[in-house]
Amino acid sequence: MAVATSNRREYRRLNPRTDPLAPWWHVDIVVVLAAMAIAALGIAVIYSATRGADPESFDTFFLQRQTLFVVLGVGLMVGAAAFDYRHLRPLAPVVYGGSVLLLLAVLSPLGVERNQAQSWFEFGSLQLQPSEFAKLGLIIGLAAFLSRYGGRLTFGQTLGALGLAGVPLMLILGQPDVGTVLVMSSITAGMLIVAGIRIRDLLLLTTTGALGVASLLGSSLLAEYQRDRLLVFIDPDGASEAARYNLEQAQIAIGNGGLWGQGYGQGSQTRGGLVPEQQTDFIFTVVGEELGFVGAAVLLGLFALLLWRLYRTARIAGDLFGSLLAVGVFTMVLFQLFQAAGMTMGIMPVTGIPLPLVSYGGSSALTTLLSIGIVVSVHMRRYGVAATH
Amino acid sequence: MNSDTPTARITLLGVVALGLFGALFARLWFLQVLTEQEFQLQATANSVRTVFEPAPRGRILDSQGRVLVGNREVNVVVMDGLVLTEGFSDTDRAAFSLRLATELSATGSLTKAAEIAERLDVAEVRPFDEIVLATDVDELLTVFLAERPEQFPGVSLVRRTVREYPYGSTAAHVLGYVGPITEEEYLARADRDGGYRLDDEIGKAGVEAAFEEFLRGTPGQRRIEVDARGDVIREVAEAYVPPRPGNDVVLSIDIDLQALVEDELASTLAARRLEQDQSYEIGFRTLAAPAGAAVVLDPSNGDILAMASYPTFDPAEFVGGISQDAFDELNDPDNDFPLNNRAIQGTYAAASTFKLITSYAAIDTGLLGPRGFLDVNQFTPDPGFYTLDSCQGEESQCTFTNAGEAPSGDVDLRLALAVSSDVYYYRLAEQFSIRSGYQDEDIAEAARAFGYGARTGVALPFESPGLILDPESFEQRSLENPDAFPRSQWLTGDTINLSIGQGDVRVTPLQLVNSYAALANGGTLYSPNIAVAVVDPLSSEEVRSYGPRVLGELWMPDEIRDPIVEGLVGAVQFNEGTGAFRKGTAFDVFEGFPFASFSVAGKTGTAEVPPLADFSLFAAFGPVEDARYAMAVVMEESGFGSEAAAPMTRNVFEAIATDSIPEALTLAERARLRAEALAAANAPDQPDAAAAEGSS
Repeated sequence: MAVATSNRREYRRLNPRTDPLAPWWHVDIVVVLAAMAIAALGIAVIYSATRGADPESFDTFFLQRQTLFVVLGVGLMVGAAAFDYRHLRPLAPVVYGGSVLLLLAVLSPLGVERNQAQSWFEFGSLQLQPSEFAKLGLIIGLAAFLSRYGGRLTFGQTLGALGLAGVPLMLILGQPDVGTVLVMSSITAGMLIVAGIRIRDLLLLTTTGALGVASLLGSSLLAEYQRDRLLVFIDPDGASEAARYNLEQAQIAIGNGGLWGQGYGQGSQTRGGLVPEQQTDFIFTVVGEELGFVGAAVLLGLFALLLWRLYRTARIAGDLFGSLLAVGVFTMVLFQLFQAAGMTMGIMPVTGIPLPLVSYGGSSALTTLLSIGIVVSVHMRRYGVAATH
Repeated sequence: MNSDTPTARITLLGVVALGLFGALFARLWFLQVLTEQEFQLQATANSVRTVFEPAPRGRILDSQGRVLVGNREVNVVVMDGLVLTEGFSDTDRAAFSLRLATELSATGSLTKAAEIAERLDVAEVRPFDEIVLATDVDELLTVFLAERPEQFPGVSLVRRTVREYPYGSTAAHVLGYVGPITEEEYLARADRDGGYRLDDEIGKAGVEAAFEEFLRGTPGQRRIEVDARGDVIREVAEAYVPPRPGNDVVLSIDIDLQALVEDELASTLAARRLEQDQSYEIGFRTLAAPAGAAVVLDPSNGDILAMASYPTFDPAEFVGGISQDAFDELNDPDNDFPLNNRAIQGTYAAASTFKLITSYAAIDTGLLGPRGFLDVNQFTPDPGFYTLDSCQGEESQCTFTNAGEAPSGDVDLRLALAVSSDVYYYRLAEQFSIRSGYQDEDIAEAARAFGYGARTGVALPFESPGLILDPESFEQRSLENPDAFPRSQWLTGDTINLSIGQGDVRVTPLQLVNSYAALANGGTLYSPNIAVAVVDPLSSEEVRSYGPRVLGELWMPDEIRDPIVEGLVGAVQFNEGTGAFRKGTAFDVFEGFPFASFSVAGKTGTAEVPPLADFSLFAAFGPVEDARYAMAVVMEESGFGSEAAAPMTRNVFEAIATDSIPEALTLAERARLRAEALAAANAPDQPDAAAAEGSS
């Protein structure tokens, strides 16, 4: 690969301390800006959803916290970018193992139950959701495992990967947190496809997976409310009042926005708090109602930009490990976006998944920004890999 | 590039991503642009509530503009419907009722826990409904309740206007009362533009019910944005519609006359209760005199000047919702149904007052006249009894007697009316039945022409049409209900009975006075008016005014009217001379009456209602030459017409004739007078008390 062009030589001469192959010259600034723009929009929307009705004393608690999380997250992103992703490969067993240990710990009495799921650690006023970090642990673990096979997987290797994914998946299902299970399943699927799963294996797994979900719905492994939320999508009349209410109110809010929206801070559904969980999983309703189709399209456009850059990084990464890391993060963000936005509009079942970088929540914000940082790192070092060969 | 490299497979993911984005955009477009309006409507319904602000009802005024029903601001304890809908268990309820009742009683509003519990037990509550728990309570409760939200959840004290009755129970039957709307009443008005809500009050009786549409104000509206818990976020100030008070109704009633008539009715009945029941032959008993009614109206236009019914009730009892006990008491037969307005709901045998009708029918058809059975002036003997010429069976079966079989000597129409000769009318009745060219139904026809057998159309609810039967409707009734009325064939005896207002005749006191008014004014039958106008209280403009409403014109030339009026004047004023046995039935009653300035014509009636004592009736009008007043009185189980109804009428007419109707007193004035009287009675004692204190 011809890397050094005459231009770069010129430049080198002008600024002799800078190596054109130096990673910092290849930071994908578009990814960074898109992520920060989405996060900023998220903070604004969270404020609107949580400040309350009294203009005299708007509540800024959520605003402050989310800003703090995003600032911390950007720090993590920068740190991750600075860190050579290739060094992650030997660390992968540790990262993966650590995330599994955290998942085990959260199911123990150390964890705290909220919203009928044992998913949190509590440190004073700070809560941590290890399943968020486990997504990244899975991505790194799978990328390290799958990249060893050079883009062709035997059935046995596929099963190995599934085993790797299965452990955290089952632990999270035990919390139970169906949303994260679905995200991790799609991450696994996306990475397996890129890592070279055979078509018939994929078909076999899809069929088995579908049967698994069906039997899951019939089992007692899911909490009552979770089954309701899933079933309301399939059969709106058969589901419980609460689940139907959630979906109805969400669609009313989005529909109420119209083309231009009710205006920031002016959504009657939002202001009335009529959509439950409107600052977290259902935050897309606030965007839809107050900013309208135009605002929602801008947000989706920013996501499209972000995803396109992640996708591009996956394609141009210097090695399969880096490519798989990017694919994992891409799939994670894509699925969460589709799920979190789609469920508020009635095209996906209602499962609690945060809209990346927009929904209120520290663990989610930190994980997402950290993941993007890793992909940035992959992008930065795409030539360096070739250089070492 | 190989199609099965990682890069190619990544492209597959890119395609999936494009598909998912497409789905999101499509759905977003559908929800926000294509079906936007539908959702916006839903969002508005979701979050904007309309809260109604009650409007004060219109007042009810008498013909002089005095307030008979007004409004008063009181403190009302209300409960937020939301609290009640959100889990308020039975045990909570019982404990809560007891707590609140205790507090209310402690501040001077004696309340039973059961009453509170009863009010909490509402069928349907919506979050913004306020359930009234107690009315007219002490202001101090505001602080007390506000300090204890955990003991009295959702309870607050608000200012409401309630009905006020300055004259107490005077004219209660005319005014009526208001009460909480029932579900049927609500549904009946649901599609109309009344804006009723389930916690509204509505007129239940009297003018309050009849003029509901005018009296009811238009509630104000506040548009309030609320959140999911129903908490208020803000009020849409520009959407505020202030409440509009209802219109005032001006009655034709004169409260002074009304109070006088009511007092006279009550006191006359009370006096009758001390008298012996003459119709009771197997022992001694006093008259029950439990109830009665009296109506005074202006024959020149049909305006009702006074309408009294006894026993009566206090409409103030209904303010803030009447308790079940009190309501049951008002509907207990043992208490003679005080809520019934006997002036329009009571139906009585007209007895001899009906002779007006028979006389009119006889002259009108020519039965009394030059070519008829008798001439108007022609005398015929009244030996005290009459056996039908047409009798076909046992003689005793066809023999009819005067009251007490008293003979009246030779009588013509005038005398027959004056001395109340039944035999004279038996003769006429038989002729109607048997004489060719005349029919049994001629009398019924005349009765209908005078307004009997049909509602007068007065603007008051629950008016009875009374009952007038002719051979045809008599048969019809029997066919419809053969068990109760086995006989379907009208007999001459029925005509005989009808001619003196007995048998199947039933008239209301209002119909009775209205028929005499029609005679008095020369033949115009009015539909009586209770109200003269509806007035907008803000602009003082008349929204409606009610002039005379003519029901019909009777054929009444002087040849017909004069002899009847003369007979009725005779009943009050005729005396054959000192020592003579014949005089008008009410002559003694009206002795000393100032006829020179106020000539009176009238007719007594004594209805036989075995096994009860006789009902006493009197119908009259005056001054005869230019009648301004017509009056009818019916008193149940009170003896002869001349013993109860006629004396009462005299007292009222005398006050009118001498312009000495006492001014009606409001409750406040009565209280002040009582206090003054008490002070006056105690005044002489005070120096003594002071002296006693000084010496001790």
